[in-house]
Parts: sequence; C-alpha cells; structure tokens
Amino acid sequence: MGWEEVQVRGYPEFVRTAQRYHGRPIFALFCGDKDAEGRSWCPDCVTAEPVVRKELHNLPDESVFIYCLVGDRAYWKDPNNEFRRNLKLTGVPTLLKYGTPQKLVEEECFKAELVRMLFTED
Amino acid sequence: QEAAKYEKKVMVLDFVTPTPRGNSWGLGGTCVNVGCIPKKLMHQAALLGQALQDSRKFGWQFTEEVKHNWMTMTESIQNYIGSLNWGYRVALRDTKVTYENAYGEFVGPHTIKTTNKRGIEKLYTAERFLIATGERPRYLGIPGDKEYCISSDDLFSLPYCPGKTLVVGASYVALECAGFLAGLGLDVTVMVRSILLRGFDQDMANKIGEYMEEHGVNFIREFVPIKVEQIEEGTPGILKVTAKSTTGNQIIEGEYNTVLLAIGRDPCTRKIGLDKVGVNINEKTGKIPVNDEEQTNVPYIYAVGDILQDKLELTPVAIQAGRLLVRRLYAGATTKCDYVNVPTTVFTPLEYGACGYSEETAVEKFGEENIEVYHNHFWPLEWTVPSRDNNKCYAKIICNIQDNERVIGFHVLGPNAGEVTQGFAAAIKCGMTKEQLDSTVGIHPVCAEV
Repeated sequence: MGWEEVQVRGYPEFVRTAQRYHGRPIFALFCGDKDAEGRSWCPDCVTAEPVVRKELHNLPDESVFIYCLVGDRAYWKDPNNEFRRNLKLTGVPTLLKYGTPQKLVEEECFKAELVRMLFTED
Repeated sequence: QEAAKYEKKVMVLDFVTPTPRGNSWGLGGTCVNVGCIPKKLMHQAALLGQALQDSRKFGWQFTEEVKHNWMTMTESIQNYIGSLNWGYRVALRDTKVTYENAYGEFVGPHTIKTTNKRGIEKLYTAERFLIATGERPRYLGIPGDKEYCISSDDLFSLPYCPGKTLVVGASYVALECAGFLAGLGLDVTVMVRSILLRGFDQDMANKIGEYMEEHGVNFIREFVPIKVEQIEEGTPGILKVTAKSTTGNQIIEGEYNTVLLAIGRDPCTRKIGLDKVGVNINEKTGKIPVNDEEQTNVPYIYAVGDILQDKLELTPVAIQAGRLLVRRLYAGATTKCDYVNVPTTVFTPLEYGACGYSEETAVEKFGEENIEVYHNHFWPLEWTVPSRDNNKCYAKIICNIQDNERVIGFHVLGPNAGEVTQGFAAAIKCGMTKEQLDSTVGIHPVCAEV
C-alpha cells in the first residue's frame, strides 16, 4: 500500500490524527509554523525538512507520516505547551516514531543516515 | 566508538539469544537491559516505598493505603531502556560504526560469520577483533528449571507481577532482587546453598543478610532445589519446589508463584568458534585468559569484560579496559587498565559500598598483626525521626600498619553507599593514609562524615 502523509496543525489535531491511524506505524515531524511565504520561524526546521522529505520513500508500507506544525514561536517557548508536556518534546524539529522511544531531535534531523535509520529499523 | 574516532573502520555485532522464556532485548548489553540499570531503578522503587512510610512521621498525611503496581513500574523502566537502546543506535551510526544485530562466530583466521534473526548469513574479515560477549544466567540443571523458573534476564520485563517469589542463590544479584521485591511488598524467600556474597567481606555480608531478615525476607539456608513442578498455570502460576539439605537428608517443599534463579553467570564463549582460531579458554569456567593488555593468546584477538579470567565483572571496568585498549592500539597511548582498588556497590535494601581489600583478604595478604581495622556504627539522621534501626549502619576501614597506616580497604553499609564510596575510592587510589583521613574535616550532618 505504500505510505501516506497527513498535515496537521496544533496539538489537538495531532492527537486526533494519531488516534485515527492507531495500529499502523506512525512517524511524525514537528516543525514551527510557517509564514505567508512558507518559511518557518525555526531555522533548524527549514534545514531539516528537505532532508526528511528526501528519505520518506524509505518508510515501511502502511506507514503514516504526520507533518505537524506546532504553533508560533511564543507558543513553542512556553515550557508548559501541550507538546512539551504530553509528548515530552524538547525541541523543534523533532522526528519521531510514535509510541516508541525512537526519535531524532534538532541537528540529528539534518543527518540523512539517521533519518533513514529511524524509518527503516525495528 | 573510540576506534572510530581514530578513523578505523569498525563493526559491532550484537545479538541476544532469547531466554528459555523467549525474552530478548536491544543494543546495550547486560548492564543497560537486564542488569545495573533496571536493577537500580527497581531498587529505587522499593526505597520510595519505604520513604512513603517514613514520610508520615515527618508530617505528610495521606489516608489512602499505598499500593504498588508492577506493570506501571516495569513499563516506565522498559521505556527508559528503549530510549537508551535507541541512543546507542544513533551514536554508533553518527560515529560511522557499522552495527549488525547478528550472531557472530569465528570460522577461520581473521574471518567471522554473522547470522541474523532471519537466519541470513554473511562473512566478514577484519584486521583485529574484540570479544566482549559477556555472560548469561546459569540454570540449575534440575527438572523443571528451564520450563518454569525465570532469571534476571526475564525479571526486569516480566509482564505480570511475580507474586510470592523464591530466589535461589546468594550472589549480589540474588540479594539485590530479593531485596527490592520484598521492598515492593512481595513475599520473598531466599534459598542459600552455603554463604552469602562469596568473595565479599563476610562480616559485611552477614550484616546485610541480618538486615534483610529483620525486614521481612525469609532465608532458607543450606538447601538446594532438586525439582520444580507446575501446580497451576497462570501469570503467575503456582510452582512447587522440592529442596534437599546440603548437610543431611532432609527434604522440604514449598509453593511459590515465581522461582527466580540467580546462582551464577556463565561466559558466552563456547559457541563463537574460538576453537577455529585457536583462542584458549579455561575449559572449566569458559573464561578467557588475557595478558595485561587484554590480548588473548591469538595476537589479533582481544577480549574485555565479564568473560575475562581473574578480572572483575563490572561494567565500568569493561568500558575502561576497552577504551584504553583502543587508545593503546591506535593512539600511541601506553596506559593499561588498573584493576586494583576498583570501587563497587551492592544495592541491597541496606546498600553496601566497598573499595579495596576485604578484612579476610587483607589478613591473608599482610598478616593479622599488620592490619588495623577502624569501625563504627552510625545512625543516619534521616532515620531518627521515623524510628528506623539505630545500629545497623556501619563503616570500617582497613589500614596497613607497615605502610604508614595506608587505607587499603573501605567498607560502608548504609543509605547511598554508592555515592559515599566513589569519593573514598579516589582517595584510596591516591594512597590516602589514616592520618590524612582523620585530618579531613567531616561534612555534617551526613553519613559519610563517620
């Protein structure tokens, strides 16, 4: 069946989407919001996104790739935001395999080898 | 990773042969998956239970009865271990070390065959090899042992609460596990063949045993199990254990939900093809003798860790030996691993930290007249208010009279023994004498000031 991508914005939409695909491998990339020109306030996210997208073809069949915009910079900086509190995210960008301790944070997302490893190892 | 720093092409082969129960785990070895890490976390869980009880005397009020949920604890611990496994994968990949989850065995000079869990085989050659395969728990060799008993390999991820448990063994693994299981509220019995903590200072070992007995752990001494049968299936089920006395013909029986075997660990050296490349091993124990540079009798094959003959079985020792070895091979260093004065801690309910000689070994080596032992009981301030034991904590140092009363042995029994011992280990390495120790002002009020 291959893999599919879903784009969401904000915590509640992320949770609903993850629940909808329960049972399938779910990978998620969390990035800062983009402005009208499509540029994120988070420079590391700008660097990481193309690297991650280039490796998506390595996703296992049936996977779901959730591309999630977390919010604006002020929301992200708040130490109590839902992503930090509930998903234990510590930085953006974060690329993770949902439901496992496997994740890549910030500069780790720049490395194609690591992204590929996250998508293909069990 | 150290070798990769020096631009060497490195491959790591890690494979876990599943336990008789079918249990397996990720990258990181025994310590991370089924040893130090989960052990210390479960020990902490038990300590927290005790702290909750003490807290009432310090004014905390809660009316509900406090219960322990095994599944919640195990899940949290396994999640943490999972993040460690993943962290190692990332670290290896990042430092360009090739990792294969495959079973390695020598098939000829400089050549190794790997078999992964799908049975796919590959061959690799290398200039040098480092064996660090560690050990696995030993089974008793009696009817029912592999079918019904568990080992430490299974305990830390057991998907159900073990219930009433019989721990067979008197090693630190046995006592630590018995200790935290009892601390979590379970009915625990320890079956001991002869003495507790062989190889450790026996004075301290007996104090540990006494403390555990006074705090609800049952001990059956001088018996060995001869048969384990299943009375009822279940998670856990009910097992019947038949045991025979080591001093006579007495037979006893007991029923338990879980039987945990902790009678020793055997090196994983018998099935890795060492005979094909001529590496000598001690046929009886399976351990590999090496020179003081961790080299086996085959010059291009090295070994570190628990599998070494006559060396300490401790994670930090193995890590240190490995790193220094690589630096010697590829960075021109000459430092060898120092196996003397390595500090250790046993995380029994009353923790025991030690560095250097036990009293018995010191007497044997230097003669009773040349040894002076200074000791003290102490009562941790934190234990006073909740009225906990006032004469159980204990510290002793062993000094060599002929060498300026140099401190050659340090032993402490009390809370946070590991933290306390670490500093003293550094002092002992520097050759601290009793006079220097006496002239060091104590921090007050802490246990370590004694």
